[in-house]
Amino acid sequence: MADPVQLGPMQSARDDLERRTLSGICCDLARLIYLASTRDYNSGTYHHEGLAARFGPEQAREALQSTHRNIFRRLVALPLEELVTELEAYVNMSHEAPEGLIHAWRELEPYRVAVPMEMDSTMVRLFLSNIKLALEVLEFRQKQSQECQPASSLQPLLGR
Amino acid sequence: MSLSLATAITIAFAILLFLVRNRIAPAGDHASDETVRRNPPSAGYALPPAELASTIFSTRDRDFIQLTRSSRLEHLYLAERKKVASHWVQQISHDASRIMREHRLRSRQSPNLSVGAETKLSWQYFELKLLCASLLLFIQIFGPHALVELASQVGALYQRIGQSLPDVPAASAIESARNLTA
Repeated sequence: MADPVQLGPMQSARDDLERRTLSGICCDLARLIYLASTRDYNSGTYHHEGLAARFGPEQAREALQSTHRNIFRRLVALPLEELVTELEAYVNMSHEAPEGLIHAWRELEPYRVAVPMEMDSTMVRLFLSNIKLALEVLEFRQKQSQECQPASSLQPLLGR
Repeated sequence: MSLSLATAITIAFAILLFLVRNRIAPAGDHASDETVRRNPPSAGYALPPAELASTIFSTRDRDFIQLTRSSRLEHLYLAERKKVASHWVQQISHDASRIMREHRLRSRQSPNLSVGAETKLSWQYFELKLLCASLLLFIQIFGPHALVELASQVGALYQRIGQSLPDVPAASAIESARNLTA
């Protein structure tokens, strides 16, 4: 890893953000949502007290914004299968019942708020569409596993 | 013979119709989508056009959906991907028109215009518009996946136009987008 002293302040702030905060978050989708939550809804500016205390508010803001955009780009470029895995990891991390989370996400579409500002409109459209599809796939899998459960729960009885 | 002529005329007419439609209503005809509307077309923070095209038109996602053997999921997937693919083509076509418009305005004041370079550029522009119109038509008829190569060609051509015009700000956005992931 590069020496933080020799890096630019913004790069150092970005590395610090990734090392101290983002590395503890299980998947890119959760990181995206976390970074979006550091953004003020009214002004669109990012705030992170710890980062601002170490690098200054401006560097912290830029680091949060560019990392948010990079993670968004990574998620857009993911194949659908891997996005479903990301969503699955996010559901597991949330400790919510999967059915409840899928229902809420389909109804409220909170993932729309996770999109960084000034992104290309096709990328945004592709991301929203892929999340919608990933939710459908996850629900489909849930239903399938529920259908399989009664049959598998009979197995021990049949084995007697 | 007369049947194939009629088919050719129909296809040419359809392409012309798409060209005209594309010119009148570029890029934003799914205006109900608020999140997308908030984001300007081709803002600076984009994947390179060819990479975005290969993500949209790749058959990998379709194959993954087909594994579920759910016709409902397959229909939903095709409808969704068709919308994204059409939006991408319209955006490319609209952006190319904007770049050429800016270039025309700038070249009027330029003292050293190269006729050869301008002719080549005009031809590339015409080729791109024609490919976009054909792509839109094919996406509607055959779906987005029959067109992977054509779409990559559109992306590459669009990038080449951007590279040919480094002095036009809109064109340099294409280059910077390419450099972001290079």
